[in-house]
Amino acid sequence: MIFIIEDDLTMAECIKKACSPHPTRIFFNCYDAITAINHHLPQLIFLDILLPGPNGFTLLHELASYIDTAKIPIIILSSIDFTHQDLSTYGVIACLHKDSFTPKDIKAHVSAYIQ
Amino acid sequence: MESEVNSILVAAHELKAPLACLRQLAFSFDFEHDDQPSLERTRAQMLEVSDRAIKQINDLTKIARLEDGLFTMEPVAVRAVCNDVIDELQTLFRFNNRELNVHYSNRTRLVIANRNLLHSVIYNFCLNAMHYSGEKTLSELTVRDHAGSVQVLVRDFGPTLPMDVWREIKRGWIKKPTSIAMRPGSSGLGLYIASRFSRFMNAPIGAIRHRDGTSFFVNLPASTQASLFS
Repeated sequence: MIFIIEDDLTMAECIKKACSPHPTRIFFNCYDAITAINHHLPQLIFLDILLPGPNGFTLLHELASYIDTAKIPIIILSSIDFTHQDLSTYGVIACLHKDSFTPKDIKAHVSAYIQ
Repeated sequence: MESEVNSILVAAHELKAPLACLRQLAFSFDFEHDDQPSLERTRAQMLEVSDRAIKQINDLTKIARLEDGLFTMEPVAVRAVCNDVIDELQTLFRFNNRELNVHYSNRTRLVIANRNLLHSVIYNFCLNAMHYSGEKTLSELTVRDHAGSVQVLVRDFGPTLPMDVWREIKRGWIKKPTSIAMRPGSSGLGLYIASRFSRFMNAPIGAIRHRDGTSFFVNLPASTQASLFS
């Protein structure tokens, strides 16, 4: 299962389509995502940083603090310039810029991390 | 100068978001594998995203023309404007799994305003509410009489407004678009536009902080012509 945490439904659906045929769940905020992660560990997370309420960093801290969730690979999707080296301590394996990523980038990461 | 550059930056950031969405939608067109309803849905999404972006840019250009005498003040039927906004946004709310309810309790039907600017103010409030309300939650548009004026109030059920932004809005208008940390999907551009338009119409805006969301409102001067109808 892939979790997409993105507050823009249109953007989230585009990511979902690029992840197809793998099953996905969309969350619009960190609260709902954390609740769901407590019940079911996703294999991969696509995470937007600027979210309503607690932002993506809150989720990164939360995930990094538990032994099981710390291992979940996370891909940041944001319009802010980050490098995954900056965030590698949080389990971030890649940072994709919203202005320039393509469905191919998503597919490449999905096939690399999901069997 | 620095604050002007910052304002341009936050506005640019918000105007860039629909372009990034359109780009992804263009990629997601799959003429080989998608069925007709999927293609239609993608097309509808592209239209909806671009319409909203164009509207926002049009509103920004109107700000520069406010003093040109192009926007006359006249008696306006406030419920009719609200109905227009709701018709325009209902599909978008449904598409995003949200609901917009309306409640009219105003006895005063006419306000002094510019119809186009008032439409933009209410539209921006509702759009803001849609963005910050959680999935499957309600936003409420209320029109009611309020101390000699008519109040149009839009309530959302999202994160409450930070205190510093609330203080700025309490003044009745917002000086410049600012980044709203707790409500990050927006640079506050829609709110800034609403503030400028309402100020032009001598109709102060305000915000109420709730434990589970925020209400934004505009108080519109009632038209004395309304007495002709009573």
